[in-house]
Amino acid sequence: MLLNLIKRPHWSFGALVIALCLLPGWGLAADMGNCLLCHKYPGLSRIDNDGKMKLMFVNEEIFNKSVHSKVKCEGCHTDITKIPHEPAKPVDCLTVCHIIEPTSEQKFSHKSVKKFIDEAVHSKIDGEGKPKKFNEDMPNCKDCHDNPLFRPLAFVKKVRPGVAEDAMGRCRVCHEKEDFIFRFYNHITTRLHKSRSPLNIAEACGKCHDDKEMVKRHGLTIMAGSSYADTFHGKAANLLSETIPDCLDCHVVKGKSVHQMYGNDDPRSSTHPENRGAICNSVDCHPKASVKFANYQVHPVYDREKSPVVYWFTTFFYVLTGGTLLPLMIILFLDLLRRLFPNATFKRRK
Amino acid sequence: MAKYPRIKLINGEKYFFRFDLDLRIQHIFLAGTVVILVLSGMPLKFSDASWAPYLYALFGGIDMAPTVHKITGAIMLLVFFYHLFWIAKVIYKNHYLRMKREGTYTTKGFLLRVVKLPMVPNMKDLKDIIDLMKYLFYFTSVRPNGDEYTWKEKFDYWAPFWGMFIIGASGVIIWKKELFTQVMPGEVINFLFIAHSDEALLAGLFLFIWHWYNVHFSTSVFPMGTVFLTGYLSEDLMCEEHYDYYVKVMKEEGYEKEILPPHGGGHAPSCSDYAPKVSGGGASFENTSEVDTLKHPAKEGGTAA
Repeated sequence: MLLNLIKRPHWSFGALVIALCLLPGWGLAADMGNCLLCHKYPGLSRIDNDGKMKLMFVNEEIFNKSVHSKVKCEGCHTDITKIPHEPAKPVDCLTVCHIIEPTSEQKFSHKSVKKFIDEAVHSKIDGEGKPKKFNEDMPNCKDCHDNPLFRPLAFVKKVRPGVAEDAMGRCRVCHEKEDFIFRFYNHITTRLHKSRSPLNIAEACGKCHDDKEMVKRHGLTIMAGSSYADTFHGKAANLLSETIPDCLDCHVVKGKSVHQMYGNDDPRSSTHPENRGAICNSVDCHPKASVKFANYQVHPVYDREKSPVVYWFTTFFYVLTGGTLLPLMIILFLDLLRRLFPNATFKRRK
Repeated sequence: MAKYPRIKLINGEKYFFRFDLDLRIQHIFLAGTVVILVLSGMPLKFSDASWAPYLYALFGGIDMAPTVHKITGAIMLLVFFYHLFWIAKVIYKNHYLRMKREGTYTTKGFLLRVVKLPMVPNMKDLKDIIDLMKYLFYFTSVRPNGDEYTWKEKFDYWAPFWGMFIIGASGVIIWKKELFTQVMPGEVINFLFIAHSDEALLAGLFLFIWHWYNVHFSTSVFPMGTVFLTGYLSEDLMCEEHYDYYVKVMKEEGYEKEILPPHGGGHAPSCSDYAPKVSGGGASFENTSEVDTLKHPAKEGGTAA
């Protein structure tokens, strides 16, 4: 069973977009280098050396609502220094970009992420610093992070969805620029909750963890996404629950980041057999649950070899269902036919 | 039972007693909860189906539908327990106490009597199924003569009975999983999920196809069977499905002369078309109302007017 993408954006999202458009001063791009001079044209594209078409169009309106809208183009595309420019190199997310991080007043960078990820299960190098086998499969930043839009808080919708006017009012006392207030407010509130729905997360992880070849190549035992989809958790995620646990709720140690996930055999991992009980009985999920409770298979496998008991148990119900319904459906069908010719019979009536 | 005459005459038509009010109310509750449970449960089982989010939204979506499902399930279990209590009461009052009163009580005799209750499957059902096969495959034009409860009705009763036990028990444990896994291994919950949802799918398909066909959609009863509301079955359906019992009741109630020939004995799809007509409808009506007044003096005023 594959997780099915239900394309149904939350209504508040649309409302926010409208709200954002109405905001005065919104729409100031970080386009100091005048990149949009060319990149504003929707058809701007070229065929690269591999014969693939690349779209170069930047939708200014959408970009301005994204978390990176304050970063200048050349803040990430550091190899571009003049216009017209050579084909741009892929962006390195660990670059020091042209934005000042207010707490340290240093130029901002995502560099510290690398330190965590190199130790974690998704690193490209092993403990000794040597490249792992099949390290090209390991995710890069952009495999998980696209350039996300601000996700409004659903529970403070009072005047505008995701925006609490009274909270904004407090900001306005000291801060003058509406643009800044709105962005800072969004920056904070977006990070107060999950920035993606559980379904979205499961799909992101499933891109690799449901890939048969990749799962086999790395010696993983289960198809993580599809087996998650077989449980209540996955089904609720499929029906767009926001509160149901997704991959990260169990696989990230509480208080740490997604970049610090470890393998199941690592004692630092939340899913290590020793730590597993503590995942389920967290106060947010199943408080007071026993350690036994955590033995529930959150990634059930219906495989004859791997879990014969589950396999035969499921088969029993298939046989029971078929064995009950099939004969009854046949009788029903024959009964309908019989009613067409109520008096016909092979035997001569006496 | 004086409260429910075995044969009721309405406008000269005979209606045969099937279910008392208590049972009918139990059935309505059961049917209602089953429909709600299936509708609020299946979108979860088939969460990736295109219709699932829309149907689920009717019950409040993922934030509310599980609660609706649990409350409805609890009501259904209460009905189930009430029904168990009802069975125990009937057996105790009508069989145990009666045998004691008559001084015929022995444990063996009592058990034999329980086993012979009309809802317990017996050899007659097997014979009826074989006879039905002969009829359906055109080897004969005679339908099996059903008893008070046919094998179909017993199937419709005992299949949900087993289902209710499996689905109910697994449902309660899944509901209170944190409590039950204090003693039970967590892996059991996986099995209960399979049992709960697969058995529910079976029950849903069984009821909405097989049961509804038999009681509503079959050409004899279409568009709707009314016995679940009125508790009484028409003479047509009575002799089509329960001929043996029909003859027995007719004899016991003194209508021996009016017994209709069995369905299938003639050429008509319904036995009333085969009823011996006495010189026109009026005469026949007069005739039955006469019997009516004889058997039910209370109705005398009504028929005279």
